[in-house]
Amino acid sequence: MFRILKKSLKTGVVTGQHPKADAPREPASPEAVQKTKPFTRSLAIREVDTGSCNACEMEMNALANPVYDVERFGVHIAASPRHADALVVTGPVTVNMTRALKDVYEQTPDPKIVIALGDCAINCGMFKGSYAVTGPVERHVPVDVRIPGCPPRPAEILKALAELREGKKP
Amino acid sequence: MADAQTAISQLNEAFGNAIVGVSDLHGTPVLRLGVKDLPVVAHYIHTHPGLRGALSLLWAVDHRPREARYELCYLFTLSECRDWLLLCTDLQGDDRLFHSITPHIHAAKWYEREIRDMFGLIPQGHPDLRRLVRHEHWPKGTHPLKKDFRWDTVLEQAQGEYAFRRIEGEGVFEVPVGPIHAGIIESGHFRFSVAGEPIMQLEVHHFWKHRGVEKLFEQLRLTDAVPLAERVSGDTTIGHSLAYCQAVETLLGIHVPPRAHYLRSLFLELERLHNHLGDVGAICNDTAYVLAHAHCGRMKERILQLNDQLAGSRFLRGVICVGGVSLNLTDHQVAQVTAELNAIETDFSELERILFANASLTDRLETTGVLNERAAWDHAAIGVVGRASGMDRDIRRDRPFAAYEELQPKIALYRYGDVRARMRVRMDEIHESARLIRDIRARMPQGPALAEPSGAPKPGEWALSAVEGWRGEILYMVMAGEQGQIHRCKVRDPSFVNWPAIQWAVLGNIIPDFPLINKSFNLSYAGNDL
Ligand code: SF4
Repeated sequence: MFRILKKSLKTGVVTGQHPKADAPREPASPEAVQKTKPFTRSLAIREVDTGSCNACEMEMNALANPVYDVERFGVHIAASPRHADALVVTGPVTVNMTRALKDVYEQTPDPKIVIALGDCAINCGMFKGSYAVTGPVERHVPVDVRIPGCPPRPAEILKALAELREGKKP
Repeated sequence: MADAQTAISQLNEAFGNAIVGVSDLHGTPVLRLGVKDLPVVAHYIHTHPGLRGALSLLWAVDHRPREARYELCYLFTLSECRDWLLLCTDLQGDDRLFHSITPHIHAAKWYEREIRDMFGLIPQGHPDLRRLVRHEHWPKGTHPLKKDFRWDTVLEQAQGEYAFRRIEGEGVFEVPVGPIHAGIIESGHFRFSVAGEPIMQLEVHHFWKHRGVEKLFEQLRLTDAVPLAERVSGDTTIGHSLAYCQAVETLLGIHVPPRAHYLRSLFLELERLHNHLGDVGAICNDTAYVLAHAHCGRMKERILQLNDQLAGSRFLRGVICVGGVSLNLTDHQVAQVTAELNAIETDFSELERILFANASLTDRLETTGVLNERAAWDHAAIGVVGRASGMDRDIRRDRPFAAYEELQPKIALYRYGDVRARMRVRMDEIHESARLIRDIRARMPQGPALAEPSGAPKPGEWALSAVEGWRGEILYMVMAGEQGQIHRCKVRDPSFVNWPAIQWAVLGNIIPDFPLINKSFNLSYAGNDL
């Protein structure tokens, strides 16, 4: 017990110790901001991987570490689409995941927003045209927010989320 | 190569007539066999006490349009000497049948199913001919790696259901999990059969994320495909790009300068460090020990930020390139890396002491998800998973690449094969990686870090390459096509080998322990599905 306390004291608070992100390359559209209004204080996110290389997932995971600690902004990861306000989709949509993506979208209660995270989700990136890919996310479900990058840094994701939820800047 | 040579003469004695020819591929002996004879010889290599060859890779090549034949290649790693031995056979003309080796060599199971899906070649005698990569809604006769299949074909929709293996009986329940999971995890499907608490059977149904990576490689030139290799499995950016580059460098006759070798090892160890730190934390997290998770997440983040500072990418994207590295760190930067790592290692050692003193944590980890030595051998398990189950294999020592010949890494080896062993392997490797990087700094030679190609490969020439990534052995087979194009690129992430093994490791455990076991394997879905 003593060791644990000592370690925690020695470490101190690390939250926020990361390089600042530049302004999002694609500012949130007024419609998206409007749509996010109901969730400004608490946003439950369901992560859907439709064929990413898993680096985008890793950065989403990093959001939960003590350095970014996304929960302090009221953002948390929901375990079921039925509990979600927002879907974060990563990766090009593969032939095999197409149906699953549509199902998840349908099971998420309205109102909801869809965030395409990473270049793949936005325009299929390097996988564009492949027989195994059916297109970017917006070909299958309406996309409200785009966060480009390959992968986008966690600080950039935070910034984009903050901008989306106006007035709650990190 | 003396040992593989002994093996060859031994095989020559036993199967003299069956062997059509012996050749040499960049130091690896290649035996050419008839289709019919191959299974017998493979079985012999696998089981003979002096050889004990583990199947490392099995792939097919469609040689059209140059030649009307398919080629099947079986790569074995001989256990005694750790040399490679390659068996090749041809299917001429319209021949579509070959003999399955799965009945004798379990590790071939997924490879042969994959070949059937991707090429339409049929492994006769295979015990399980369900589709693997192609899900049931793919139309019949779709075999993407055949040369007459266009890479940008738009697939039609068909109907069908995957036939899971069923256990029926009173009190037996099926629990489907996925493809989309509760946390931030990649997509894949698990089907459990349980009676009460314990798992009686797990079937892994993957390939949801199949993006057609191998076909995409064939659309690129040898020198242009590094970014694609980096995106096979994002967390293994360096591992995959390095393995790809090594194969291409063999084809182009490039001699990578010594400094680049050292830098490559440095980057590879950095990748190992951040992933292992993340995994140790994630394993603890799945036992609800959040404190350790938070500390590990913080340390991992330090390395990712360091990467970002050095290379402008948290995953070191764009750092490895054909001919060397594009980022020639200054000595000052290398010193900065070692200083940061020393701090992180001290930090981690303190955490380790806390972890080992925690009985309730150890309690969850010990005897959970045991993959015993026999099962590990049968699955040819590799990497962290293999080394936790007594499989003493590590490419860094067995087939030294980059600067590992001089660095001589110590290999972590445990025998129990439980979650704890897999965590211990990672912990040991964290210390070893930090030591290696200090050593790299001490030995780093001066000079350029990039070399120019000195030749062009003839169409049909090919090369193999292996890298010990943080998960385990990454293999690439790259074959040159016309005018610098890629004719075929076989990518093998260690996950492809270890996924079937997880089906064994969970037997008898309870479902709530599955996430923990799965985390301790931490396999890539993207690298598996390709
Ligand atoms: S955008 Fe980049 S990092 Fe994200 S899934 Fe695609 S290739 Fe991977």
